[in-house]
Amino acid sequence: MGLLSIIRKIKKKEKEMRILMVGLDNSGKTTIVLKINGEDTSVISPTLGFNIKTITYQKYTLNIWDVGGQRTIRSYWRNYFEQTDGLVWVVDSSDLRRLDDCKMELDNLLKEERLSGASLLIFANKQDIKGALTPTEIAKVLNLEAMDKTRHWKIAGCSAYTGEGLLEGFDWLVQDIASRIYMLD
Amino acid sequence: MEDEDNEEQTLQKKHQLMLERLSARHQTRLETRKPDPSDSSTTSAFLSRFNDSKKSIAAKIESSTDPSRLPDISAAISDLEKFVAENSYLLPSYEIRSSLKTISDLKQSLENLTSQLIPKKKFSFKKSKPTKTQIPQPDTVSVPEKTTSYPIRDSPGFRHKQNQVLVQNFKGSEIGEFTISDLDSCEVKLIGCVNALFLNRLKNCKIYAGPVVGSILMEEVEDCVFVLASHQIRIHFAKRSDFYLRVRSRPIIEDSDGVRFANYCLKYEGIEEDLAVARLDEETGNWANVDDFKWLRAVQSPNWSILPAEERVGDVDLANLR
Ligand SMILES: Nc1nc2c(ncn2[C@@H]2O[C@H](COP(=O)(O)OP(=O)(O)OP(=O)(O)O)[C@@H](O)[C@H]2O)c(=O)[nH]1
Ligand SMILES: [Mg+2]
Repeated sequence: MGLLSIIRKIKKKEKEMRILMVGLDNSGKTTIVLKINGEDTSVISPTLGFNIKTITYQKYTLNIWDVGGQRTIRSYWRNYFEQTDGLVWVVDSSDLRRLDDCKMELDNLLKEERLSGASLLIFANKQDIKGALTPTEIAKVLNLEAMDKTRHWKIAGCSAYTGEGLLEGFDWLVQDIASRIYMLD
Repeated sequence: MEDEDNEEQTLQKKHQLMLERLSARHQTRLETRKPDPSDSSTTSAFLSRFNDSKKSIAAKIESSTDPSRLPDISAAISDLEKFVAENSYLLPSYEIRSSLKTISDLKQSLENLTSQLIPKKKFSFKKSKPTKTQIPQPDTVSVPEKTTSYPIRDSPGFRHKQNQVLVQNFKGSEIGEFTISDLDSCEVKLIGCVNALFLNRLKNCKIYAGPVVGSILMEEVEDCVFVLASHQIRIHFAKRSDFYLRVRSRPIIEDSDGVRFANYCLKYEGIEEDLAVARLDEETGNWANVDDFKWLRAVQSPNWSILPAEERVGDVDLANLR
């Protein structure tokens, strides 16, 4: 039995889920995490390293890792891949110019073997901004339909600003992970 | 139909309860007040605990010859990582990044030790194990289409202009995000509030803008002057440019040099109201707290500086400009 499976077993007992939030800088990751944790979102600086929030959600404990998306620190993302149960990819739906970048980084991430079992939630964030692309448009740009058929994924529109769509998204993610990992109990 | 309505209702109820619980939790958190990030005792307490754990883990890695101890070491590294993450809201940026690096190094040493102690099995179905450098190999897995084939509409903005004065008033407009790109020797005046501002490839320009309620994202600018107010600003690939800023959070620069900072100095009729609406009426002093993502040392980054008082332009009144 490998290291990983030992750790995974312990985790199962505690009903913990490890969730990794990534996406380009400025997409709204930190705002989303603070919003769903009911915290003040009016003064947030760009993330220099990472943050972790432990949130009790239904009967689960979510460890949410929010990693900065600035180009310089994207190379650190891979430090957080191990044992990830859920991957949240956040898109700034109003940043039309960087959608190519966004697609490329997501494609690279999805090639990562250590993330191959993780459920994937894509947040098309900033839906409150006039001119933002809809989740359907984002799905087309990112060519999500072409994704590996074994991957569990969903795209959801949201606004970290108003809070709309956040809980629906996390509900899906937590249910999906639970049905995969905790199926037996 | 009815079933759906019912389901919808329970869902809403569930969310309501959730939100209530969350805000209750927020309340208790507020009551058990967070330590002040600038409080140096928080930092030194963190550093001493961090260094103790680091030493003990490094010593274990150094002395281990028994593979059965590997899970323990791995767990200890995870704990240390979690400890850093939990404190990262409270730590100065340099400490965060240096601890990040330490953890990364520890993981690397553990990986090396693991491969020493548990030699790879000769015959097995390959389950291509992650190797040291995890940079994903392009094209080993076939992923259809590299670039987006879907046509993307253009957002409102000013593009591809030279030697012009460009004015946009957002008052009463429906514009949410605005783009300024590929300008040479232009002067741009933006009046009123907008949600998001994107600035790309500007040369020798002057950009004056009213408050941005969300964030400003900037790439590839040189020899420019910016007078900007926003909640956040990210500056990438900027050269020899001056920034007069009002920001609620810390401005960040990446891959930039010769950039200088001063406080916001724009005036136009009604700007005070606009700033208040955007909750940017208060001078936070954050214009001077610049974080350079390319500078990993505790001493001041050579890439940016404070604009000397005698070189600042003074108040800029849009009504008086040309
Ligand atoms: N209008 C609007 N603005 C948003 C929304 N979500 C985030 N923002 C703004 O977008 C900016 C970036 O948000 P952050 O949460 O710092 O983004 P991030 O993804 O954590 O960025 P990095 O830490 O640099 O990777 C901030 O100015 C937020 O206020 C949203 O749903 N609507
Ligand atoms: Mg962040």
